[in-house]
Amino acid sequence: MNIVYDLAVIGAGPAGLVAATVAARHALATVLFDDQAAPGGQIYGPPTAGQNVRPETQGGDIRDAALIDAFRQSGATPVFDATVWAARRREDGLYEIGVAYGAPEARSVRITSVRAVIIATGALGRPFPVPGGALPGVLTAADAQVLLKTTFIDRTRRFVLAGTGPLLWRLASQFLDAGIGLEALLDTTSRGRQWRALPAAWDFARAPNFLRGLAEGRAVRRRVQVIANVTGLEARGPGRVEEVQFVAAGGTHVLPADLLVLHQGVVPDINLGSVLGCAHRWNDVRACFEPIVDEWGGSTLPGVFVAGDAAGVAGSDAAEARGQIAALAVANALGRIDARARDVAAVRPRAALRRALRGQAFLDAVQRPADAFRIPRGDTVVCRCEVVTAQDVVDAVRLGASGSNQVKAFVRCGMGPCQGRFCGLTVTELVAQECRMSPDAAGYFRLRWPVKPITLGELASLPSSPEADRAVARGMLS
Amino acid sequence: MTPRESFDVAVIGGGLVGAAVGFGLRSLGPRLVIVDEGDIAHRAARGNFGLIWVQGKGMGLAPYGTWTQRSARDWPRLAGELLRETGIDVALGQPGGIHVCLTAEELAQRVAALEALRAQPGFRRYAVEVFDRAGLASRLPGLGADVAGGTYCPLDGHCNPLKLLRALHAATFRAGGAHRAGHAVTRIVPRGSAFTLETDGGAIGAEKVVLAAGLGNAALAPMVGLDAPVRPNQGQLIVLERVPRFLALPLETIRQTDEGTVLIGDSRQDVGFDESLGPDVLAAMAARALRVFPALEAARVVRAWAALRVMSPDGFPIYEQSATNPGAFVATCHSGVTLAAGHVYAFAPAVAAGGLPESFRPFAARRFAMRDGR
Repeated sequence: MNIVYDLAVIGAGPAGLVAATVAARHALATVLFDDQAAPGGQIYGPPTAGQNVRPETQGGDIRDAALIDAFRQSGATPVFDATVWAARRREDGLYEIGVAYGAPEARSVRITSVRAVIIATGALGRPFPVPGGALPGVLTAADAQVLLKTTFIDRTRRFVLAGTGPLLWRLASQFLDAGIGLEALLDTTSRGRQWRALPAAWDFARAPNFLRGLAEGRAVRRRVQVIANVTGLEARGPGRVEEVQFVAAGGTHVLPADLLVLHQGVVPDINLGSVLGCAHRWNDVRACFEPIVDEWGGSTLPGVFVAGDAAGVAGSDAAEARGQIAALAVANALGRIDARARDVAAVRPRAALRRALRGQAFLDAVQRPADAFRIPRGDTVVCRCEVVTAQDVVDAVRLGASGSNQVKAFVRCGMGPCQGRFCGLTVTELVAQECRMSPDAAGYFRLRWPVKPITLGELASLPSSPEADRAVARGMLS
Repeated sequence: MTPRESFDVAVIGGGLVGAAVGFGLRSLGPRLVIVDEGDIAHRAARGNFGLIWVQGKGMGLAPYGTWTQRSARDWPRLAGELLRETGIDVALGQPGGIHVCLTAEELAQRVAALEALRAQPGFRRYAVEVFDRAGLASRLPGLGADVAGGTYCPLDGHCNPLKLLRALHAATFRAGGAHRAGHAVTRIVPRGSAFTLETDGGAIGAEKVVLAAGLGNAALAPMVGLDAPVRPNQGQLIVLERVPRFLALPLETIRQTDEGTVLIGDSRQDVGFDESLGPDVLAAMAARALRVFPALEAARVVRAWAALRVMSPDGFPIYEQSATNPGAFVATCHSGVTLAAGHVYAFAPAVAAGGLPESFRPFAARRFAMRDGR
């Protein structure tokens, strides 16, 4: 129980699987944690009820199986159904990972000590704050995938998909494959962006995903009414979504809808790195925070690496390459291989990474959602956990809150169970706009444990210490 | 540096102490400024547990007990004014509060300590009831089987400290007071009877200056002939998800907020400027809370955090006017919520009038010099 692993890999998607496999092959005692019951992560594995979504359109089953096989034979220790809820750097330089594992009814919690960490937690859906977006019946792409997989769907209900990005089209395909008709797909990709992205288009046309995406797009268009250049999107109630209003082709339109799925791309899941204390930086093209990493995926903390979409959304091919590169860096850092061997071994994954990133600049430019879809106004709900509106955030800034964290203290946005996953980026951009400062200066929520919820009973089951008991047993008088 | 703007009073610090002093001075309107740091700072105000707590306070300094009681009594007035002026209900409740003792030994120690407290010369006495297990269980449904008892004081209460902070700022803002965020004060330069504050955001001039910068006061005070030897003391807090209302009154270490969430606090550790969490401390806090209310076992922890209390050498507040620079005042304490009404209705008016009355004398930092034999 008290063994120290060389490496903890968090997340069993393509980046995490490859990283753990490569690390174990270099004789690193490696443990891999993942929320789900089986390897594959969000791309290859089953969708879960979490907020995370499958960020990519591809997923060749044969190669996925090969990745999983290689992992199983690598000697790395897999721990599935394992929620990583805490992480910290100890004074002696080791890292402690708080894990809750086992079936939901009988989870155990423990703290695992490791020498190095590879964060491969993937991406999650970008906030999509529109008027009426908090009404029942408005779903995220992840919600919709859970719905598709796990529940009986009433086919008489009217579904509308709205947003931008490959996953939206993928989701439309999944609906159609499941025999469920769609009222419409409202494409919010802004016309201006496509032209601005043109210089990067040639690379994209040579990218491996391009043809697959094109074919999927055509198939959806054949069977669904696709409305382009949608702006002014609104879900309308009263009690739950009943219709969707939008502006397109110069006019305002209303579509009846029982379920509205909103999706406008994915952004890195930075929560675990933030809790650890890794530095992050605003990527203005992608309009999101990304961890600051070197060419090996090394974060600003020694021994902490980030691989896959958690380091910057780029899809599964890039994730595999980055997983391999980060594992080589850890093997070198812990003395298993010298720098020369590391560099030689990294040549192939680096070439693969270059290929995978070809066309990414085009995608980034096209998929950046319009300002109006990222920076809402008025009584549009920003934080669903605490029901905080855009105006509430603006008011807090006017009262003197000069950054995301003071806004959080004033209006509670980001204090709910989602730990800011639904509202963090929106609050950053609102504050930045209102204070006329950069998103880096506006900052992101200082995130706290637990990264994902655990129960008080689970927390209490962790070992205490005499010092801790002394700290808690209150002095008789204060 | 030449100030670009000047004010009658500059309050340094936008936490609970500074915001309360600012609110107490809001009749100055635009002649008042609150000077604050940026988004990331050691902000005790954000980690506050939210108690308005009287019982047990003042051992070793009887006037502190009196000061605490006074503020608690003025709290309804403060909450009413904030509601009237800002529409923000700070969720004040003063139904009395309970200190829970898990063992018979703890209870005996607690009762003896309260007796000693109240026997001090000059101590202003207040009612405290001692409950045995049965008495406590009748007031606290769901109480754990092995809780020995507790002490109850009717003056105790709680509020929502984040709403308090926001309301204080909102009211001052509405009254015309200025607020300069991102202006961490690096130096205070006396200029005749006035002051220039050198900050990250430019210089600010002021006739009077109130040091309410929490841990920052330690460095600022000597610049104006004051002394504020405060040190951080880490406290950790656990927040549970909203649960159906089960707690009608606050306990010293567990309370249910107006929003339905449950707060569990608070640890005390002398670990310097460290705001990192220790899993062992959280585990000990959780285990103790479960002995008090076993039914909380299945409640989800949504957040845990550590904040730094502002502790003086004896734990009591420091209020003082500078002898060398009489326009400079310092206010620092670790009970910014409890003492908020005192800061609004006693300390701020004294600053406005130009001098602290006799009743503040016991809180001068001179007491540390005497103790150290300096």
